[in-house]
Amino acid sequence: MSVAKSWDELQKMHRACTITVETLEALAQAAVPGVTTKELDRIAHDRIVAAGARPAFLGYRNYPATLCISVNEEVVHGIPGPRKLREGDIVGLDLGCIVQGFYGDAARTVGVGKVDPAAAQLMRVTRESLLAGIAQCRVRNRLGDIGWAVQSHAEGFGYSVVREFVGHGIGTSLHEEPQVPNYGPPGRRERLVAGMTLAIEPMVNVGRPEVKVLEDGWTAVTRDGSLSAHFELTVAVTEHGPWILSEPYPYAAGPEMHA
Amino acid sequence: MPEPAAEVPALPARVVELLPSALFRVQLAGQGRPQATVHVAPEAGMLRVRAGDEVLVRLSAVDPGRGRIVGRI
Repeated sequence: MSVAKSWDELQKMHRACTITVETLEALAQAAVPGVTTKELDRIAHDRIVAAGARPAFLGYRNYPATLCISVNEEVVHGIPGPRKLREGDIVGLDLGCIVQGFYGDAARTVGVGKVDPAAAQLMRVTRESLLAGIAQCRVRNRLGDIGWAVQSHAEGFGYSVVREFVGHGIGTSLHEEPQVPNYGPPGRRERLVAGMTLAIEPMVNVGRPEVKVLEDGWTAVTRDGSLSAHFELTVAVTEHGPWILSEPYPYAAGPEMHA
Repeated sequence: MPEPAAEVPALPARVVELLPSALFRVQLAGQGRPQATVHVAPEAGMLRVRAGDEVLVRLSAVDPGRGRIVGRI
């Protein structure tokens, strides 16, 4: 069970998530045809350091970069390198940073230049699945409700959700209990309590759900080579409803949310 | 950054006995005696299982004496 965070701790995570999402926005602008993935990694690193935070992924289980960048059939955990982005690619950008010991984690998938309508729809549906999952982050709901919401939205469009990787609790480390799968029956597993912080991250494939990890030990690609998209936000469960930690606190009340 | 899902691994096993109620007793590879009583998992599809078949078994996390046949080897 993830530890409920205090209001002060949530403020630190809010800061970390805001820096992460703002950096992702800058990266989305910078993802143009011809730019290398290594270049985007450098931009991410510089911006996070300039904002007074630390990159969360660099060195995490020996991960060699600040950013995970996953192009087209790559699902997640792509390592930045000399690869140049091309017009029509879809690029998953996954980033995290640490502020005063607290983690923020977020990801989005963006199109490079003009992408074809099928890829655009995949990205839209994946993002909607994430939001459907977030809408379930209410006190007394269960973890299974989140997975069910994500899965039923994505599969409604004929897509599949990846099973081998899951979302996670987050706080003073990048991966905390509990695991947050993007699938599964509703009404099962732990109940959500106020102060829990979860990173919800649907990975949605056009084809089949199976993935394999390449020889670099990180990059996960779809087994059937189909396109894959990935969106992620860090969310706090509050008495009033979900709080996407990269957004301002959306409810009128402040610290008394734990009351 | 997503975390690898903690999944109970599928283990190779041999079916040793057919039981009532669509149950099967299996012997896990490398273990001495029949150990688990398992159902055919729905995701394995229409799988015909006979005594002596080599199958993949995913044991329950709560009760290691139970599990599901998830496929054929």
